Amino acid sequence: MEQKLAENVERAEPVKNIENRYGKVSDVLMILLRILIIAVVAGLFIPYINPVRLSGAISKNASLFTCAFSYSAIGSNFVRALYKGWIDQGTLTTTYIGALIDGIAAAALAAAACMSLGESRLRRLGTWISICASAVGIAGTVLLRLTYNGFAVTDHPNKIKPMLPTGIYVYGTLFTVVFLLSVAALLTMPKPPPGARYEMQPKYRLFLMILPFIILVVVFSYLPLYGWRYAFFDYKPGSDLTSENFVGFKWLRYLFGNAATRADIVRVLKNTFAMSGIGIVTSWLPMAFAIFLTEIPSNRTKRLIQTFTTIPNFISWVLVYTVAFAFFSTEGFMNSVLINLGVKQKGTNYLMSGDHIWLKMWLWGTWKGLGWGSIIYISSISNIDPQLYEAATVDGAGRFKKMWHVTVPGLLPTFFVMLLMSIANILSNGMDQYLVFYNAANRKTIQVLDLYVYQLGLASSSTNIPLATLIGMLKSLVSVTLLFTANRISGRIRGQSII
Amino acid sequence: MNETVRNKRSRIHRQSAGDIVFRILNDTFFILFTLICIFPFYYLLINTISDNELVRIGAVNWYPRGIHFNNYIALLRVNDLAVSALVTVARTVLGTSLMVLTSAFVGYLVTKKAMFGRKVIYRMIVITMYFNAGLIPWYLNMSMLGLTNNFWGYIIPGILSPFNIILVKTYMESIPAELEESATMDGAGYFAVFRNIMLPLSKPILATIAVFGAVGHWNSFTDSIILMLGEPKLYTLQHRLYIYLNKNSNLGAIMTTGQVDQNMINASLNQRTISLTVSMITIIPILLVYPFMQRYFQKGLMLGAVKG
Repeated sequence: MEQKLAENVERAEPVKNIENRYGKVSDVLMILLRILIIAVVAGLFIPYINPVRLSGAISKNASLFTCAFSYSAIGSNFVRALYKGWIDQGTLTTTYIGALIDGIAAAALAAAACMSLGESRLRRLGTWISICASAVGIAGTVLLRLTYNGFAVTDHPNKIKPMLPTGIYVYGTLFTVVFLLSVAALLTMPKPPPGARYEMQPKYRLFLMILPFIILVVVFSYLPLYGWRYAFFDYKPGSDLTSENFVGFKWLRYLFGNAATRADIVRVLKNTFAMSGIGIVTSWLPMAFAIFLTEIPSNRTKRLIQTFTTIPNFISWVLVYTVAFAFFSTEGFMNSVLINLGVKQKGTNYLMSGDHIWLKMWLWGTWKGLGWGSIIYISSISNIDPQLYEAATVDGAGRFKKMWHVTVPGLLPTFFVMLLMSIANILSNGMDQYLVFYNAANRKTIQVLDLYVYQLGLASSSTNIPLATLIGMLKSLVSVTLLFTANRISGRIRGQSII
Repeated sequence: MNETVRNKRSRIHRQSAGDIVFRILNDTFFILFTLICIFPFYYLLINTISDNELVRIGAVNWYPRGIHFNNYIALLRVNDLAVSALVTVARTVLGTSLMVLTSAFVGYLVTKKAMFGRKVIYRMIVITMYFNAGLIPWYLNMSMLGLTNNFWGYIIPGILSPFNIILVKTYMESIPAELEESATMDGAGYFAVFRNIMLPLSKPILATIAVFGAVGHWNSFTDSIILMLGEPKLYTLQHRLYIYLNKNSNLGAIMTTGQVDQNMINASLNQRTISLTVSMITIIPILLVYPFMQRYFQKGLMLGAVKG
């Protein structure tokens, strides 16, 4: 139905019937225009090409957006300069006005680009707005250029540091080119038919509706990838990423070459694989839990058990640690009961020990996740064809034979998917559980890769951001490879991939 | 269901010694495991309402002794804790509602085959589930965006959840197309169709993702630890609990407001009491809401089971 509606709108569009030889040129120009406007809007947020940075005293992390948004991004560092008369308030105000004008022009251009996806009349309007907005943008940039003179006449240039930022040239060029292209597009655009309305094809309307969310995804999931560049610099918090501290693959060589780091990584990987491995080897437990739960005759009991055993899944790991603390610390339940029974003389702090950490972590994980993990198997069991069980009974199968020959094969597909996903995520144990249980005594065996990266990059007194970034980067690449391999294996064996 | 009846029948007809042994073992295991799941919460509860001195030396094990509620009263008055509670409640309510609305809307839009670039967009969203840039780049990104030490740093990253979008999309694709068509023929636009038809019909799946989202927000503490290091006012409840559990903290460090609350002195709080009471404060809301949440899991998991 959607398709039909879309086609109807297209058929009603008479412009396609009027073969105007400028139509195609206009289309190309519009595409170029949209690309340039994307550049203008994206550049709003890039501090490097901020045209407002007419003085070194303006923060170098300020973008055009921040400056247009609030005056303080410009004026906050000039309080003393104003007081001492090194600079005129008017200059600062004009700078802000210039920033505001450029910002508004960029916003209007963004609106124009959206309108350009519309049908003839809307597109025409968009092009007009583009012309006006880019003209205003040119005016704003020229104003900024003139304001530079206000900075340049200061008698304290070493404090005020007047400068002509690259942004002025960038935005000057961008606005001019956009202006010229818009004019050209308008001239080559076919005239809208009489009685045409302001409308847009459904496909572009849908696209514009989802656009804000795509931007969100890009900003929070794809933009961090740009942070990978930190792995190639000698970066300390507060310093810059300049060509001086670009060190290429130094950290990669350091990772494999430095004996201490190498030993650390090997140890951490050992912990990670051990704990993930134990999880994988015991991943049949939720399935068994589900199977044996279904053997309980009363439905009410089953539901009650399910309710209670899934509660631990909904508490945070901090709370799990509280429970551990309440039970296993020196005054905890365990020690108390054992002392009362006369088995022990004094309490020991079970938490402050490095023994059997992998086992203990696995036990806590099972306590928390067994009830929950079995739910999906319980649902799957109810989907198994009852006739299979009847046939098994007729064949003289007892309880266990039925489990093995009917139930387990019925659950095997689900189990296989879960298993593959666990293998693909073998490096990602998560951080929560290990962070809360971490202490000086179990440090060596509890550090998994995620925790190690966190502590290396953010939490210790001597953070090493490039190295932490590099390790995280390698982990992501390996995980993705594992995932696609697992996917391919699943496709080969089951004929169905998991992604 | 059928299997249970069948089991009953076969048990009535062929109840052997083996069957009885199995049933005893099976039932015992499940009773034990269920108790292990519940007892800790009972233990926490009785310790928080018992006499604090007895709790400190670990004398309260099976039943409360010297019942009083001063711990809760005193702690709910501690400024830091109240602020953290407020922050956590705010982020749970705001974050969950935004996440549900966004997932619903994006899930709806993605089902529209007419969309320009739909396949590419969908793939772009789904890929982020399997591939992330790493913790440090994520943190640097948040820092650059100005979302560190900022309440919105809790909310904005969580708005777009690819997994939930997939759940909604799968669910909406199972809604008969005729309902939409009749509305479109009456002249309804996409947004009207979404608001009047798709949204009400999707209540089951939206309830499911709301439950998981809310629990996630309520329990979160790693993002508090990573993002809000410079702004203690923005710590979540779980983060506060984590601080209180740290062995190096003492009563003085906990009461950072500088006010010495008379109630706290009267209540003779100690580290053990404080940790346990705060943890109960964070658990009780979940336990209260839990019975109502229960029925959404089964449905939600089955709906999501298709995609694994």
